[in-house]
Amino acid sequence: MGRYLVERSFPEGLKISINDEGAAMCRMIALNNAEDGVTWIHSYVSDDRKKTYCICDAPSPEAIRRASRRNNLPIDRIRDVRILNPYFYQ
Amino acid sequence: MDELEVILQAVAGGSGRVVLVTGEAGIGKTTLVERFAERHNTKARVFWGACDALFTPRPLGPLYDIAPQTQGELLTLLEQQAPRPSIFSAVVDELQKTKATSITVVEDVHWADEATLDLLKFLGRRISRIKSMLIITYRDDEVPPDHPLRLVLGDLPHRSVARLRLLPLSESGVNTLAERAGRRIEDLYEVTGGNPFFVTEALASKGAGIPSTVRDAVLSRAARLSPASRAVLELVSVVPARTQMWLLDDSIRPDAALLEECVSSGILRYEGDAIAFRHELARRAIADSLSVHRRQSLHALVLTALVNRGSDALLARIVHHAAQAGNSASVLKYAPVAARQAAALSAHRESASHYQIALQYAGELALEERAKLFEHRSYECFLTDQTEEALQARREALEIWKQLGNHLRQGDNLRWISRIQWFLGCGMEAETFGNEAVGVLEKLPPGPELAMAYSNRAQLHMLADEREKAVLWGSRAIELARSFGATEILVHALNNVGTAEYLGGNDEGRVKLEESLRLALANNFQEHAARAFTNIADTALRLHDYKLAMRYVDSCIAYTTEHDLLAAKLYMMAWRARAHFEQGEWDKVADDADSILSVDRVSAITKISALAVLGHLRVRRGDPHAERVLNEARELAMQTRELQRIAPVASARVESAWLKGDVEQVIREARFVLEMAKTHDDPWLHGQFASWIWRAGGDIEISEKIPTPYALQMSGNWRAAAEAWKQLGCPYEEAIALADGDETAQCAALVIFERLGAGPAAERLRHVLRSTGVRGIPRGPRPSTKQNPAGLTTRQMEVLALLAQGLGNAEIAERLFTSIRTIDHHVSTILAKLDARTRAEAVSHAFQSGLLKQNRQSSAPN
Repeated sequence: MGRYLVERSFPEGLKISINDEGAAMCRMIALNNAEDGVTWIHSYVSDDRKKTYCICDAPSPEAIRRASRRNNLPIDRIRDVRILNPYFYQ
Repeated sequence: MDELEVILQAVAGGSGRVVLVTGEAGIGKTTLVERFAERHNTKARVFWGACDALFTPRPLGPLYDIAPQTQGELLTLLEQQAPRPSIFSAVVDELQKTKATSITVVEDVHWADEATLDLLKFLGRRISRIKSMLIITYRDDEVPPDHPLRLVLGDLPHRSVARLRLLPLSESGVNTLAERAGRRIEDLYEVTGGNPFFVTEALASKGAGIPSTVRDAVLSRAARLSPASRAVLELVSVVPARTQMWLLDDSIRPDAALLEECVSSGILRYEGDAIAFRHELARRAIADSLSVHRRQSLHALVLTALVNRGSDALLARIVHHAAQAGNSASVLKYAPVAARQAAALSAHRESASHYQIALQYAGELALEERAKLFEHRSYECFLTDQTEEALQARREALEIWKQLGNHLRQGDNLRWISRIQWFLGCGMEAETFGNEAVGVLEKLPPGPELAMAYSNRAQLHMLADEREKAVLWGSRAIELARSFGATEILVHALNNVGTAEYLGGNDEGRVKLEESLRLALANNFQEHAARAFTNIADTALRLHDYKLAMRYVDSCIAYTTEHDLLAAKLYMMAWRARAHFEQGEWDKVADDADSILSVDRVSAITKISALAVLGHLRVRRGDPHAERVLNEARELAMQTRELQRIAPVASARVESAWLKGDVEQVIREARFVLEMAKTHDDPWLHGQFASWIWRAGGDIEISEKIPTPYALQMSGNWRAAAEAWKQLGCPYEEAIALADGDETAQCAALVIFERLGAGPAAERLRHVLRSTGVRGIPRGPRPSTKQNPAGLTTRQMEVLALLAQGLGNAEIAERLFTSIRTIDHHVSTILAKLDARTRAEAVSHAFQSGLLKQNRQSSAPN
């Protein structure tokens, strides 16, 4: 299992509302991910909502692509990342 | 029990099912199935067979139990040792003979032999067409992930399999049982873990408190028997599964009253014409309590009785008791016979195990006999992917033949070692031993062994792309094989020569390969047939003839699936992954590579191909961990020293360096493979690596041998090169060629890269376009699967379609041949994905979003 940063672009802007509908959509994505062993941890969304940066745990990059395909989510790039915490040294 | 009833109704409706009943030892699998069978034995035909805990199980053991329960020809066929396919078909015929539903129970398959597993697979694949219920019980906690049973279960068609996992009793269930027995014991639930057998034994043990283990419980119950009855009990305990009455009579002739005592005490019970422990755990407990001496003498008694009976069906049991009795003469007499019988039934794993037992007792055997035992064991190990063991046994045999000065056998064993070394991915050792074999055998008058040694050399040269040598040695093999009428060697040699010639662009080669395939199929040489399929397919692929390659890839995968040739199937899947990769179907590549790499014992050769293509895919997509898999592939590939393994790995690494702009590494790595490709005269690889060097600005001589698309490219004719790649069906290469062209061509290339998901190549090209001042750089369409916006799986779509028809979960479960629990799970997932609170709401959402309308036809089960 590795940790990945998945960059996605939404040229028309990501449409996700902060209500029940949005919650349902996130639930659906999580369910689809689970079928490939992918765990979505959280995402950062750019202010114009055209880019998202998703942190997830997955068995392989291919698993992320498979799950994203089912979720109809585009992928620009997958990077493997490590945690660096500023309080680590204190 | 209710679930079994539901399934039986479906079976009575005409489509058979396999039911897997699982759970730990003592959980009550047998009890459940027995009750169920009793309830139906008037209307349905019930057959019962069991696998037993012999060190080496009886080949087709359960079928020998079942055959006497039928009136058909099954028993005759088994006794005549008929070929396996006719035995298997006879089983299916038997099940279809009357209109009545049949229930076949095969117990304890965690102990099954290979042939029985094959039978279960055979039945499992056909069950849906028969009015029959096949109940298989096993201890799932004793089946590790690499157990052969897992492969069999994984191969069964999902629709016709139902699973029933028995769980331990709850705390209140245990208390109820205790109350019913009129006893109140503290901690009964904690100590027994709710295991029904343990609970029963503990309640019956009568002592104060609870025995701390199930073994203590059993022993305390047995301690209350008279010494004479205890002696009967002990004899029965050394016989796995059940003891037939005749066996009991022929060994100790017990008084009927003693048997009665054992049965009425609740430890033993009658099972047809046999007597058995109420549970396997109890048998083990008694057997383990015996002194070594006592146990050996009991095994000796059983052995004598079995031998006097003189039946082939008892061989595995004879070997088991002979070994347990420490009787080496009997082991040596019967183990090789049992091994041959097992091999004849394709129970190769059991055969190898019998030879192993014989070898443990072979200390005093004549050297020649021992060497032959090693040879047999090696062959059976080789067939069952126990490659290291196969090599070890060959080495032992070789040593003995050397001592005896038998050059013919030495030569043949050297040839075998060469073959096994190749399988282990050791190219250098394979070559050394192969040459040595020829050297030894050429000093003797020519025979089939020499022909095979020639053909082995031809094969090694062919695999190493040394085509001229392959043809030279192979032609000698063909000539010799024809003169001896040795068809199998002929098939082998034709394949080697054919592949070498075909790869060199000579169509005569394909004719030879097809002849080899035809002969192999006609003579049912399955391994050779698989090899002919794979060699035609992968050679066609190396020549970029995708249409022909895919035709043979598909036939090969169908053939190897049908005949359970797993190694060949995985090898072909690795080539299929490469074919899809080159044709731009990248999602399929990952699916094949993942399934290959998830198999534990996949051969080094197949693993290299899977890792190389997966690594290359990651390079082109810009995904992480490309380097990791490529390094692993490279290490394995270098050991084989074969161009066809090294080149794909190098190709990925070179492209990775190019995408990073490291031209020096491109030139260095490409030059190495280019030299190899030149030596082996492989035009396509020559072209590929020459063009990388050209692209990186290195010096390159344009040879006539370079295939058209590469030659056009390097001479600057990018338009024609792109067209050539398009004709071949390689979109990525087409885009690479277009990227060398004018602005319009470059934009077209960008669209292709974007469509493929080739991030780094697209990024690189965009950079070039920007730096030359091009505006309005296109963004290609993004791949997305719009047909299923809710992201439901195929199975969930099926369930949704049935929901829309107003069916309840039980009805859906029946339609889709699965348990209600599974359907419950699917339905809640569907509700979550469609954000619906009720089933009706889910259906209405599905229609509103067009999900059901457009999928209705394709997803409704027939």
